[in-house]
Formats: sequence, C-alpha cells, structure tokens
Amino acid sequence: MTITRRNVLLGGVASAALLTTAARAQAKEVVIGVIYPLSGASAQIGVDAQRAFETAADLINNKYDFDLPLARDEGLPGLGGAKIRLVFADHQADPQKGRAEAERLITQEKVCAIVGTYQSAVAVTVSQICERYQIPFLSADNSSPSLHRRGLKYYFRAAPHDEMFSQAMFDFFDALKKKGQKIETLSLFHEDTIFGTDSANAQLKLAKERGYKVVADIKYRANSPSLTAEVQQLKAADADVLMPSSYTTDGILLVKTMAELGYKPKAIVAQDAGFSEKALYDAVGDKLEGVISRGSFSLDLAAKRPMVGKINEMYSKRSGKDFNDYSSRQFMGLIVMADAINRAKSTEGDKIRQALVATNMPGDHTIMPWKDVKFSAEGQNEDADPVLLQYVGKKFVTIFPPQAAVADAIWPMK
Amino acid sequence: MTAETIIQSLASGLLMGLLYGLIAVGLSLIFGLMNIVNFAHGEFLMLAMYATFFLFTFVMLDPLLSMPFVAAGMFVFGAAIYLLVVRFAMRAKTNVGMVQIFATFGLAIVLRGLAQYFFTPDYRSITHSWLGGKTMSIGGIFLPVPQLVGAGLSIFAFVALYFFIKRTDFGRALEATREDAGAVALVGIDQNRVFALGWGLGSALVGLAGAIMATFFYIYPDVGASFALIAYVVVALGGFGSVFGAFAGGILVGLVEATTALVMPPSLKAVGIYAVYLLVVFIRPRGLFGSI
Repeated sequence: MTITRRNVLLGGVASAALLTTAARAQAKEVVIGVIYPLSGASAQIGVDAQRAFETAADLINNKYDFDLPLARDEGLPGLGGAKIRLVFADHQADPQKGRAEAERLITQEKVCAIVGTYQSAVAVTVSQICERYQIPFLSADNSSPSLHRRGLKYYFRAAPHDEMFSQAMFDFFDALKKKGQKIETLSLFHEDTIFGTDSANAQLKLAKERGYKVVADIKYRANSPSLTAEVQQLKAADADVLMPSSYTTDGILLVKTMAELGYKPKAIVAQDAGFSEKALYDAVGDKLEGVISRGSFSLDLAAKRPMVGKINEMYSKRSGKDFNDYSSRQFMGLIVMADAINRAKSTEGDKIRQALVATNMPGDHTIMPWKDVKFSAEGQNEDADPVLLQYVGKKFVTIFPPQAAVADAIWPMK
Repeated sequence: MTAETIIQSLASGLLMGLLYGLIAVGLSLIFGLMNIVNFAHGEFLMLAMYATFFLFTFVMLDPLLSMPFVAAGMFVFGAAIYLLVVRFAMRAKTNVGMVQIFATFGLAIVLRGLAQYFFTPDYRSITHSWLGGKTMSIGGIFLPVPQLVGAGLSIFAFVALYFFIKRTDFGRALEATREDAGAVALVGIDQNRVFALGWGLGSALVGLAGAIMATFFYIYPDVGASFALIAYVVVALGGFGSVFGAFAGGILVGLVEATTALVMPPSLKAVGIYAVYLLVVFIRPRGLFGSI
C-alpha cells in the first residue's frame, strides 16, 4: 500500500483527536469513592446519601454564590478546574462487602479518596483498606468513638462522635436538674453492633461519672422480628429518661411495641440514627411528640445562615426530603474532602492527607452548627459541637446548647 | 421477676408464635408436597405486606378488608411462580437439589431487587388502620389488638386447612401426591395442577400473614428476611411437611423466644430457639411431628 498525502492527513487527525481526549480525561476529573448501603435493610439511607453527595458535587463542579468552600468556582481551581466525579459502591451494611468494595474502588476505579459509610461497623474495614493503600478516608456520618482511636493515619472525621453527643445529653440533664427537674434514673436501649455498643458504653461511663443510676441496660439484636420482651423490661424499669440507640427499623418497632404494651416513658433522649429519619416519624410520629434526639444539624440554622436553607432546597429537589442529621453530614463530608484535594493540588493520597491535616474551615463556611473544622492528630474534629433537637409540632427545634437553642425544652415529653 | 411479667411474656410469646406458625405453614405445605424448600418465602411475605400497604394507600382499603384480595392475589402469584419457575427447575436431571435451591434463592434476590427498584427502599407503615395501634389490657396484661386478631386468624386458618386437606377432593389429591406422586399420575390426577394449586395455597397463607402483619410492622424490601429465618426453624422444629407441626412449631418458637428473654439478655433470645432446635435434632431429627 502506498502512503498518500490523504492517508497521512487522516492518520494525523485521528491521532490528534485521540491525544486530546486522553489529555482531557486526565486533567479534568477527580474521582472520589462513596461507599454506602444501597441495598439491604438500610438501603434507604444509602439512596438518600447519594442525593446528598450529588448535591455537594453539583456545588463543587458548578458556580454558586454561597459562602462555602469551592462553591464560587467551577470544579477545583487548585487542579486547573478539574471536576469531581463520584463513584458509588454498595456495601449492604456488611463489613466484609465494605472491605471488598473499598479495595475495588481503589484498585479498579482509581479513586483518590473515599467517603462513607453510615454503619460504623463497615467504616472499620473500609478505613483499614484505605490505610493500607494510603488513600484518605473520611467518615461523613459514622459516630462510633473507637473509629478514630485505632492509630490510623488516613482516617478523618469532621462530625462529632458518640461521646461528644452523649456528653451533650448529660450536660443537658445537668442543666435541667439545676432548673428543678427530677432526673435520677436512665434506661439504655441499644442494638448489638458497634454503633449501639459504643454509644451505650459512652452513656454508661457518663452516667457513672455524673451520678445517674442506670436501671436498665438492654442490648437487643438489630432487625428483630419482635421487641416485646425488651420493651417489657424497659417498662418494668420505668426510668426518668429512656435513651435508645437504634436504627430506623428497630426504632419504629420500639415505639409501636411501647404503645402496644402501654409503656409511656417520661422522656426519650435518642442517639440519633433512626430517630432523625423521616420514615420513623411518618410511621409513629404521633406517639413521639416531645422526643429529643441529638444531632449535628438543624434546619433552624437557616434563619441565621440563609445559604443553609438554599442548599437544603437544592437537596430536597433531588430527594424529596429535607436535610437531616445524616444527609447534612454526608454533604459536608464531600465538601471537606474536596476542599483538601483542592488545596493539595494533587490526587496523591499522601498529599491529600497532608492537606486534610492542615484543614481550617471556619464554622460559618459550613452548613453545620460547628465552631470550625480542624483535625486532631487522630483525625477527629474536636470542634464539631453537637446539638439536641426536640420533635415538637411535627418538626425539630434546637433546644440545647443554649447558644444554638431556639426554644426551651418541653420536659417531660407529652 | 413478678408473676405479671411472666404471664405477659407468655401471652406475647403465644400471640407472636401463632403468627410465626401462620407464616411458616405455607413453607411446610410446599415442602411436604414436593420436597422443595422455597427460599423466596420471606419475599412472598414482603410482597403481601406491600400489596396490603398499596391497597390501603391508593384504594383506602383497610387491611382487614383487603386481606381476602391479598390472599387471592398471592394464590395466583404462587401458582404462577410454580408454573413459570419451579416447574422448570424440577426438570433438572443432575444436581436436582442444587438447581431447586438456586431457582428459589435467585427468585428471592430478584423479588427483593424489584421491590427496591419499584417501591424504593423507604420504610413504609400503615398508620391508621382499624386494628393498628389498639391494645387491650386485662388485669395489667397488655394484648395488642393486631396480634390478637392475627393469632385468631392463624388458628382459623389452621382449622380450615385441616378440614380442607381431610375432607375435600383436592385436599385428598394433595395428600396423595405428597405420598406418592408417581402413583397419583397413574390414577389420572394432573400432578402439575396439584403442584400449582399447592404453591397457590401456600402463598395465599403467607399472604394472610402479610396482610395482618402490615398493620403493626414496618414494610421494606428486606422485611421478609428475619421472618423467613424463623419460618425455616419453625418448619424444621415442627417437622417438615407437617401442617400441624408448623402450628405447634410456631407456638413453641414464640414461647421459647419470650421465655429466653426473661432469663437471658434479650440480644440472646434467638439462642433459646436454636438450642431447642438442636435438642430436637438430637432426639427426633425429622422434627416433632414430622412424618417423613
């Protein structure tokens, strides 16, 4: 075959086209892994989380006029305007599937960072894999305190953990006691994975330190078909405060069973999880007037910081729901991670880690009631102040701490 | 521990146990008929709960009224599953057991996936039904009305099933097919028809259980999993293929579960169930009332 001028020209055009697409793909995309339960018992959480992460990615990749890191730029300016691409993986609430999916994200999808995971038990395995591959992992919404105490260098958490949350609860009890309320006895009700166990351990320790008597400490199997026996014991103990640490399914069943067995606790102060899910209030909200849950987010904040309301609208357009304690933390998780990648000006794990360590994000540049985002040597943000929210008239109002409160607590609950 | 807590535990255990029996009997019936364990049994329960939920949400039909429709719908569904899936799985020449296990197991995963896709993974509840949220108190013992009705329904279903099997032609054909499918074919009974009707009947029974459970339990695509596990134990405990065994097994599991929680931490209440099951396996491997 003779090489004509036309052939040369064609070949040149073709290879030029190939080159440019290759170059484009390389520079303009930062791939972040997002690992959540997208099927199985807590699929609903994962699907809502997807919408929260997509909202955050939209804010980062496009121009918005918000006081939030990366909102005013298109993409990551530190990487020449590179856009964020999210790769979602499904761990089905199974730590072993989480491990396998994390490995796949890192080796096959070439993600430069991972955000996850809802269940703390899964965060344990995912963060171990990330440590091994030196890929930064950020717990968007895991709250078990043991997570950041494993000496991992690539583990970060911007949100509070259960000891901080529980501490806020006991500060609240102390404050109520000073006002003359009688709070002496507590009942703990917690599920049997790392979330419930850690939460109960923190609460037991605090109760002992501050002189509250734990009259029932009930551990139950998650997703039980029946909680009758458990509720009977709670009823027999009849403590001044019932403190559940339950995911949505068990939370619904707990409240229904309490009503069936004629148990009306004087007050419920919940460790979040199921008790900040819309599904639970849709199902049994009429029995929960006055329930208190800890949280790291409150829509009240929109009054002081209008962007919170606007970003919430963006999220609710996607999901049909308002931001709750989880979706808000998931949203912030990606923003914090993207901010670090932007400052690292690199997608190398070690550089991103260094940038995360140097994070200093003022609280009013977030959608959370936090003082700021700074990571301790263990990767925990100690300045993430939790709040307590009370369910009154079909919505949540912030009742504690005083500087964030918009209303006084109704105590005991109705 | 007062007498009141013990009586309350036993009462709650009995109510729950009768319901477990009703959930399990369809499984037992199908197994007895053709030696197939339906691994999608929990998903059948889930579909029945969703059907009840949707009839309530869109047609405003109370679960008590929609129950016959749900059961009828499940009958058709169960028969269709036999004709479209199980019938073909049974034609396998080698590894018959495995093929059958994976056919129904795969069906379970497909049904769960479809439910999540079409119904979303949101947790649903029927908030205001005639039964839901009502409870009776007799001398300090609380009996939730939905479970009470469920228990009554379960007893009624078992009695009806007993007479159906013993007194009707189809019931006798069912019994005969269970005993010797080959001989039955010789006397001109269409085996396929009996099997399809058996699947229909088994599914209709779990449909009844699903309709009543929808009044007090949350509904989501995976809801069947934990109940299916209990149903397998109930069937194994009561005796494979024995209808009365499922009844007794259900009550036993309910009572053991409730009493275990009295003496051990509630997180270990499943241990009691399996301990009793192991005991039965040692003493009587075919189950308490097993005939095969």
